[in-house]
Amino acid sequence: MKVRLTVNGRPLEGEADAETRLLDFLREDLQLTGTKEGCGEGECGACTVLIDGQPVNSCLVLALQADGSDVLTIEGIADGDTLHPIQQAFVETGGVQCGFCTPGFIMAAYALLKATPNPTDEEIRSALEGNLCRCTGYERIVDAIRLAAGRMQGDA
Amino acid sequence: MRYQQVVDEAELLTALSDPAAAILSGGTDLLVKIRGGVAAPETLLDIGRIPTLSGIRESNGSIEIGAATTETEILASSIVQETLPVLTTALAGLGSIQIRNRGTLGGNLANASPAADSAIPLLLYDAELDLVGPNGPRTVPLDGFFLGPGKTALEPGDYIRTIRVPIPEPGWCPFYHKVGKRRALTIAIASVGALIRIEGDRIVGVRFAAGSVAPTPIRLHAVEERIRSNALTEEVVDEARRLAMESVSPIDDVRATADYRRCVVGDLVARALRLAP
Repeated sequence: MKVRLTVNGRPLEGEADAETRLLDFLREDLQLTGTKEGCGEGECGACTVLIDGQPVNSCLVLALQADGSDVLTIEGIADGDTLHPIQQAFVETGGVQCGFCTPGFIMAAYALLKATPNPTDEEIRSALEGNLCRCTGYERIVDAIRLAAGRMQGDA
Repeated sequence: MRYQQVVDEAELLTALSDPAAAILSGGTDLLVKIRGGVAAPETLLDIGRIPTLSGIRESNGSIEIGAATTETEILASSIVQETLPVLTTALAGLGSIQIRNRGTLGGNLANASPAADSAIPLLLYDAELDLVGPNGPRTVPLDGFFLGPGKTALEPGDYIRTIRVPIPEPGWCPFYHKVGKRRALTIAIASVGALIRIEGDRIVGVRFAAGSVAPTPIRLHAVEERIRSNALTEEVVDEARRLAMESVSPIDDVRATADYRRCVVGDLVARALRLAP
């Protein structure tokens, strides 16, 4: 069946069947492999993307269910070769170790800072409740988001 | 497997006459089951775009929530926050942000997990479900809708249209507590919700519901009947705790033992009463 999506600002059309998850469509059909598959059942958040601005597990959404919507992935947030402030902050604070969970965390953080530009630490931790990291112990991820929030406010 | 994006309720009712069809709402449970081989529908009926199954409105003293309304939409509703605070609290702890952005209220109920977070507040608030099926529409109380783990009063061809919750009169003291290994993405070890009304030192109204301690989410009617109209004393709190522990039938599983769950329910019932005045 046909599926029409806007992905990272670009309208596009593809084919998907009832088994194709949005995750598969992004990775296999569009070659957007920044979005990772961790658990495949909504527990880990590695596959987090935004649909119409809301973070979702792309392993739990069929591509056909997302028909007509606006999808933002990790590939869509940098400005050319300039990293998004959240990405840059993850690099600087050491919020990335193995890196597998990172795209999901950054997309969850992106949604948080859109809605809440100046979050408390508690709000940051709540916004990351659906994302698991087995390397960092989370502290540096929270540091990164706090740093990014400060810089993005400075820009505004 | 086939996918059908259903346009309206008439199409849904017709499509549901196929016993191999399954309703796909948020997909946060069903898609996991399909990939795990636990469910194998031939047709997925996506109800996410049926306008009449989504949204929240106030009507005749009730809050009506369309079955396909997401948990995030319900959390954002100020009328729900004001009138059904236990529902807001329970949904805030359901799954994760990613899950709540997709998962729906009707889906959480139809899934009929003994640990369904939304069932606790809805049992407390005496919610009713408007069902539609081949023989027409009917309304059933939520208390009685769950028949066992994964089993409900939904007959073949039925779907949930609306969850209807009478707005309680002011003065109820709300309580909700879910015990789990962590706050997010956890299936409750046990959970208890309560609505309590105290006038003077007397318990004039009391409702308890509990999750993960029986084959279905349950109201603790025996506890309610025993302590209603009593003075709120330490003896009554102890009696409520004892009866609550007796009236549940938990199991040992990977999350906790039955004994532990019994103790948790007793403690939470006692805590709800102590916090009420």
